[in-house]
Amino acid sequence: MGAGGDAIVIGAGQNGLAAAARLAAAGWQVLVLERRDEVGGLAGASEFHPGYRVPGVLHDEGRVEPRLVAALGLERHGLAFRAAPPVFLAEADGRGILLDRDPEKAAGEIGGYSGRDADSYARYRAFLAKLRPLVEDLTTTPPPPLSPTTAGHFWEIARKGLRLWRLGRRDTLELLRVAPMCVADFLNEWFETPLVVAGLAAPAVIASWAGPWSAGTNTNLLLGEAAPGRWLDGGPVALVAALERAARGGGATIRTGAEVARIRVEGNRATGVTLASGETLDATAVIATCDPRRAMLELIAPGTLPIRIEREFRRIRMRGTAAKVHLALSGPLELAARPGELFEHIRIGGGHVDDLERAFDAVKYRQFSAVPHLEIVVPTVADPTLAPPGHHVVSIIVSYAPHDVAGGWTEVRHAALLEAVLATVERHAPDLRRRLVASELLTPADLAARFALTGGQLHHGEPALDQMLVLRPAPSAARYATSVGGLFLGGSGSHGGGGVNCAAGVLAAQAALS
Amino acid sequence: MSRRYDAIVVGAGHNGLICAAYLARAGRKVLVVERRHQVGGATTTEELYPGFKFSCCSYVVSLLRPWIIRDLDLPRHGYEVLPLEQTFTPFPDGRHLLRDADPERSKRAIAKFSPRDSEVYKQFGAKMAELGRLVKPMIDGPAPDPASRSPFELLRLARFARHLRGQGEEWLIGNVKMMTMSAVDFLSEWFECEELIAPMAVSGIIGTFLGVRSPGTAYVLLHHYMGEIDGSFRAWGLPKGGTGTVAEAIARAARELGVEIRLSAPVARVASRSGRATGVVLEDGEEIAARAVVSGVDPHRTFLRLVGEENLDPEFVRQVKRFKMRGSSGKVNLALDALPEFACLPGPGPHLRGDITIAPSIDYLERAYDDAKYGAFSEKPFMDIVIPSVTDPTVAPPGKHTMSIFVQYAPYNLKEGAADWPNQREAFGDAVVDTLAEYMPGLKSRILYRQVLTPWDLEQIYGLTEGNIFHGELSLEQLAFLRPVAGWSRYATPIEDLWMCASGTHPGGGIMGAPGALCARTMLGRRAV
Repeated sequence: MGAGGDAIVIGAGQNGLAAAARLAAAGWQVLVLERRDEVGGLAGASEFHPGYRVPGVLHDEGRVEPRLVAALGLERHGLAFRAAPPVFLAEADGRGILLDRDPEKAAGEIGGYSGRDADSYARYRAFLAKLRPLVEDLTTTPPPPLSPTTAGHFWEIARKGLRLWRLGRRDTLELLRVAPMCVADFLNEWFETPLVVAGLAAPAVIASWAGPWSAGTNTNLLLGEAAPGRWLDGGPVALVAALERAARGGGATIRTGAEVARIRVEGNRATGVTLASGETLDATAVIATCDPRRAMLELIAPGTLPIRIEREFRRIRMRGTAAKVHLALSGPLELAARPGELFEHIRIGGGHVDDLERAFDAVKYRQFSAVPHLEIVVPTVADPTLAPPGHHVVSIIVSYAPHDVAGGWTEVRHAALLEAVLATVERHAPDLRRRLVASELLTPADLAARFALTGGQLHHGEPALDQMLVLRPAPSAARYATSVGGLFLGGSGSHGGGGVNCAAGVLAAQAALS
Repeated sequence: MSRRYDAIVVGAGHNGLICAAYLARAGRKVLVVERRHQVGGATTTEELYPGFKFSCCSYVVSLLRPWIIRDLDLPRHGYEVLPLEQTFTPFPDGRHLLRDADPERSKRAIAKFSPRDSEVYKQFGAKMAELGRLVKPMIDGPAPDPASRSPFELLRLARFARHLRGQGEEWLIGNVKMMTMSAVDFLSEWFECEELIAPMAVSGIIGTFLGVRSPGTAYVLLHHYMGEIDGSFRAWGLPKGGTGTVAEAIARAARELGVEIRLSAPVARVASRSGRATGVVLEDGEEIAARAVVSGVDPHRTFLRLVGEENLDPEFVRQVKRFKMRGSSGKVNLALDALPEFACLPGPGPHLRGDITIAPSIDYLERAYDDAKYGAFSEKPFMDIVIPSVTDPTVAPPGKHTMSIFVQYAPYNLKEGAADWPNQREAFGDAVVDTLAEYMPGLKSRILYRQVLTPWDLEQIYGLTEGNIFHGELSLEQLAFLRPVAGWSRYATPIEDLWMCASGTHPGGGIMGAPGALCARTMLGRRAV
């Protein structure tokens, strides 16, 4: 029997490494166990074709909160931020809109479609900016306790109440009105240009089991847009590298190729883990950063947890709806609408919010979208070293593709989805196929297998109103500690998680420390 | 001009009449003016075909508050509700599911589809009734205002929060989930069999522009378990003689209390002077003065037509305009010369006495919704059917029957525009009858008369803007303190002495009567009349 030390962290993804770094900084002896042969998980780099790498399966969305990671000293370990690039909203037979978060920079582009919308955009950004303190607080602190018992709990709730109070009556009412709305209705109140509505709506539904007309999706938009951060220099993998250095620097040990088969529970207390190799390791605390269903239903022996708790976790909806496509190109991704311009961030949809909804309709019937929505990042625009000189890599999150496609993900369906993606890109970039060196498609089923991700759900739990805050991942584990003593959940499926931000890992570590 | 009235209520729908009755009960002199030739609004019974009385719009009583029935002594005025206890769901493959008030019988019926679900079914009902404890205080009082600055209101909120806490964590989580989940997701946490989930889920979408998989639809499921909370088993039922008798009973009660009702008196506008309502002007030019005016019509009609944009703050107008109406349903009423028969369960029987739901699968319902999202009526619609004449023979000649078919989806805004409805009306009616004929092969030959009401017709005939049967969608952002406009959920309006009392205000639609009664109570409490 080996010693795991004070804490064992399961998973060396962004959250696992962040938890390890945080615990190590507090003086704990930490062992990180990673199933794969490399660290990083969904935020790790992937060489999908010899000489062509993407800096993470997930895209950077500017969600790393500098104040939250300040304690980890990541900048000392090489992490640098840079301004988020504008996103290009492509349109098949139009000029498209290069959308900057700064309304002044975006005004000319939007104004080309509608002068009224250019004005609205400034007011829209101003409204979101007012929510910033509230959203920042929400995403960087644990959710408030549902049944407050201590003075500290009441204080936490009072603090959050006070923030809402400071927003003022008018904006509070407006926030309460718009949060549960569907993103299409909300944006239609602001804008008249279909491309603007569709372009702003898409990020709120990506990787969720929802379309833009689904109620509650506007909360995703507010959480994502009200506190926009800067991007990471070097992409998600740069965060992973800095976290790894921070963790190791603090004395943490990281073992790759070490798959955890069981979290051992004795007398309702986690006592350590057993690896797939049979090796057992002891620890005082276990922090699981894999998805919550895997942690509680697969890694814990069936029958260990009370039925009520098991049911809570079984009910977490984890239906993956996003596929990933990686392209290697022998030249830049040139769009017919803007010859000669290079964009790092491109959004290709049908140009209308209903097209996005139609793309979603397919998953309801376990089909993939005939015309998918594509969220594209071209990492080589910022970092040419990811591909041979002059060449580019293109990273695409494809919506929607169900993890449980009717008939299964056969080779035929695999090829058909890839073809649908290529055809969609080609409509905007006619030179695509001539420059195509290699391509890779990861369906939700592939993502599930490669990253041990239940349902292939990129956020470790669908982002939906009933799976947020105190309900994320499940009521009994909302504040990272689970019903099992010494076992904490700190993956993306916990509050703060979803996307590249490592917040859940840090918050889970803090919960373990207290 | 002398002030003859303390209050004028515009519209003799059930809420307008209830509001008037409560005001009169407190000694106020009240006039109700109604555009149509009869009272009731959408709570109406009409003899469209000789001998056949149709509940053209609303067809069941849902949740009419027991205290209103008592206060206004409605049974004495002819209010009688016949129970509607069965829910019958036929399936295209010849199977059927019949659930009724007897738990053991329902259990046996469900067991044929899933033994597991049959075990859970009763437990589920008990759980819903427990969760429904939140709804009752919500619909029997004005909505709490979470953004209020007033100490009195904050105290009320704190008390409400304590009340919530007192119910326990699990209960609270259950309610949060109900408010935010989709009907299908919520039901799937309990049941495994789609033949049960689909017909249960539809109660979450009636009258909304949402699908059974749209978040926010679970909450309405609670309404079906409210009957037990009210302590009256007849909370859901068929009004004897048709839905119109409910309105007539209320009208009789109101008249007895001194309310004057003028029919065929359409209001052109609310008369106002320096931001204060002074009465109404009828379409024929007659002006009637009153201390207060109460609007029993929907918020769009109230502010954009009767008051007029020019008399309102532009910001308020913007907020009214974005209050979503978007009608999504239609109604087909049939006169039949014989009782229709189901292929899967031929002959008469208890299954024809209750609610008949055409909701064979979740995908079926979703596809019906998909059609509507893109501006077309559902080719294969969801239907909620009752045959009132089986339970209440007074509504049809002997041996003959009336059939009420509530149809969803029929979006007001067709892709060709709402004005194209008259061109599509019969095609819509055909889609309904054709679909139904798949389950009732002999149906078509028994039809003596057919009325098709599209959302456009509901607007034209009953004055429901965009044909919305609830005077505004019942979606989270349009409920409670946000209904119809944030800051104006307590029946008052920016025009002094103008009040709102209909379904567009808290707690909303259905033949519930609460908005009308709560409006009157608020007006009296604030000495507005």
